[in-house]
Amino acid sequence: MRQDIDKYQFPQLEIYKESLELTHLKRKTIIFNLLVFILAGLVLYFLLQMHIETNTVISTMLMFIVLISINIAFYSYDNDHYHNLKIAMYISTMGLYVITTSLILRFHTPSIFTMLFLTYAITSIYQDYKAMILSNFSLFILGILLILRFPTIFEIIGNNEPQTFFILVFLIVFVVLLSLSSYILIKRKTFFYNQLAQIKESEIRNMELLLEIEKIKTNKTLNVEKYYESFKLFSKHLSKKIGIENVFERKIELLKDLKKMDIPEILSKYTEYSLEEVNELKYMELEIQNKMTMIGIKASKSYGIEVSRKEIFSESQFKSFKHFGDNQYVKIVSFVLFYTLLKLDKPYLQKLEEQKIKDILLNSEYFYRIDRDIINIYLDNNEVFDTIVKDHMKEAK
Amino acid sequence: MKTIINRIRNSEFLTFNEVLRLKVAIVTIFLFIFVFLSIPISNFNNFILDINILIPILFALSLMFTLVFMLFNLNRWAMHFSIFTIIGLTLFYVYGSDHFYGYILFFVTLTVIIFYQDIITYILYGGAVTVVGVIYIMQNGSSIVGINAPGIEISSLTYQIILIGFYITFLVQFIISDNIYEKMNNEWVRMNKVLEKYQDFSLEYLKEIAEEKGEELLYKNTKFQQTISELSIFINEFFEEKGENIAEFVEFYFFLHDQNIEEIINDKKVPKLTREYATEFKKYLMNERSELVSILFNFSTLFKGNSDYNEKRYEYSLDKLFSNKADKLLSLAILYKYLKTEVTQTDKWGKIERVLTHDEITELFVSKEFREFISFEQVNFYLDNQELFNKYL
Repeated sequence: MRQDIDKYQFPQLEIYKESLELTHLKRKTIIFNLLVFILAGLVLYFLLQMHIETNTVISTMLMFIVLISINIAFYSYDNDHYHNLKIAMYISTMGLYVITTSLILRFHTPSIFTMLFLTYAITSIYQDYKAMILSNFSLFILGILLILRFPTIFEIIGNNEPQTFFILVFLIVFVVLLSLSSYILIKRKTFFYNQLAQIKESEIRNMELLLEIEKIKTNKTLNVEKYYESFKLFSKHLSKKIGIENVFERKIELLKDLKKMDIPEILSKYTEYSLEEVNELKYMELEIQNKMTMIGIKASKSYGIEVSRKEIFSESQFKSFKHFGDNQYVKIVSFVLFYTLLKLDKPYLQKLEEQKIKDILLNSEYFYRIDRDIINIYLDNNEVFDTIVKDHMKEAK
Repeated sequence: MKTIINRIRNSEFLTFNEVLRLKVAIVTIFLFIFVFLSIPISNFNNFILDINILIPILFALSLMFTLVFMLFNLNRWAMHFSIFTIIGLTLFYVYGSDHFYGYILFFVTLTVIIFYQDIITYILYGGAVTVVGVIYIMQNGSSIVGINAPGIEISSLTYQIILIGFYITFLVQFIISDNIYEKMNNEWVRMNKVLEKYQDFSLEYLKEIAEEKGEELLYKNTKFQQTISELSIFINEFFEEKGENIAEFVEFYFFLHDQNIEEIINDKKVPKLTREYATEFKKYLMNERSELVSILFNFSTLFKGNSDYNEKRYEYSLDKLFSNKADKLLSLAILYKYLKTEVTQTDKWGKIERVLTHDEITELFVSKEFREFISFEQVNFYLDNQELFNKYL
């Protein structure tokens, strides 16, 4: 069975994830450039100490200046900031390796060879998949080429055997370990962007669920007419008190019309408002839109919530059926409860067909919330599970 | 190996402890290579034969300790032992020979420590390794000077600055990632708690619906209990010969629903094992907003709310939603009216039947938490005109 873990991902997440990542990308770009600036200063210091010819000093510094200038240019260009910064990141990663290689080839010493590691460290600031692949690939290829094509770099005074084999092995270990480290780190970071975006979407859906259940319980909807009437009265007295013309009344009329008219009709009736203004006003409409209801629900529930540092890094925050330290029996019973409940009608969710349950459990994050051995038993024997539930529950519901 | 690769590929879904275990396993594989390599390298170093035999044996022993700790799930201890081993190996390689490859091991050791992604471990062990590296160059810098190097001083300085730079750069990376991780985690935990509040209310409504309809609660239904028992036995048969052993625990799980579970957990007279099971089962009770209930609600949201994304979809601040001043005031009035007239609170018996009073709303509006919804300017406006809000809304 081929697993497609994104199959049941909320479709709204991608754009929001980008906006979350952009904030951090901006900061990382600044830190990267600061580090490159410091590196340039150190390189300049060494070049001057070694009394290197002016042309070499200028050309080396020029490379640093070009690199930083490219970053400034991409950072300043506001349109599509996210992709601009990504391009700047790839250029910077490549650029820094070019500068380092040119320095290694210029000086031909083992000490300057270690600058490749420093370059890797600086590019790792980005913590980005593609930048990581680029950086690992550059380090690996450049390292191997330099070791194999220029073994004299590693010749040291009084010892003419450079032991390139061991240098090569250590370089490979270095690259592999760092690649794995970055891979795991970036995966977890991306996972958190995803979790955060997901919980924002999940919040909206949970509020909608609450409204749905509330409606089943109370059989009531928002008394919109009463709302608008009280706003009219309120705005009349408010305008009078603060001594301004009642600008609210017309808006309240527009809000009421939003239910029965489409946007072109609204724009032709309320000519004093632009499309942007009407679109903003739509958030206040109470019958079709539920933005203000959502704000009301959230505002009524969000107070008194405190998060301690202990909770931030606690595994118990991840709701699952496989908590570390839990007995195997508990893991089995909890999964079985979850599975059986999915197969029963609930006021907020109709029972699901066996194939649907199997598909979701295999192709969604829920796969990872269940103990691996248990989910595998289920996936291999789901017909048996289905039969057991059907046999026992046919008379129950 | 296939399991390790699969685990790396899905590492984001592993718990912290599982990730640490995975990392120790990977490092141990590399350490085996290093320990193995230390045998041929003994030919190039300056130690006496006894040390050349003894040291690799010690490393092998240290690796055994790492494995034993892993077996007993003492992953942090295993991590420390793997770090001790790589540091020992580095010192063995570096002080035993005058070759450049020995020096590269300082970077490899730092890499191993970085791999664990633990800032304190990195500061302590990484810092110590960097200091040793710098001292090594001060004492033995002359032994690894390249034939093309302009002099010992420049060569040593280059080595030292690059090693320190490497350490500091990764420290910066750690601080950035820790900072991002902590902020995101904090926000996520807070959001989780907000979601739990919504789910508390959803569950309470469901209980009231069932009560009004006079429906039997599902966890009291014998057929349901039998289904859970049968399925649990079926799964357990894959793990132990007597699969039915689990039946007693299923019974205990349902029994807990009619008990004051906190009393059981805290009662020292109750056997420890029983209390442990009660604690673990508490997370999955059906009559309170447990993890099971939350997961079910979250699962059901897969089938809800498919309206399109717009940039203000997750925006709840009236100040950011509206640019016009009059709109901001009108939306403030809507929010006030909603809080004052809609039932959003539980009464003293836990029933959802209460609305917020004017004073409670005022308290909320001025609270720090409410800056998420309304600005200072809006609060000031509200405070100046609160009698109108109270009278007409």
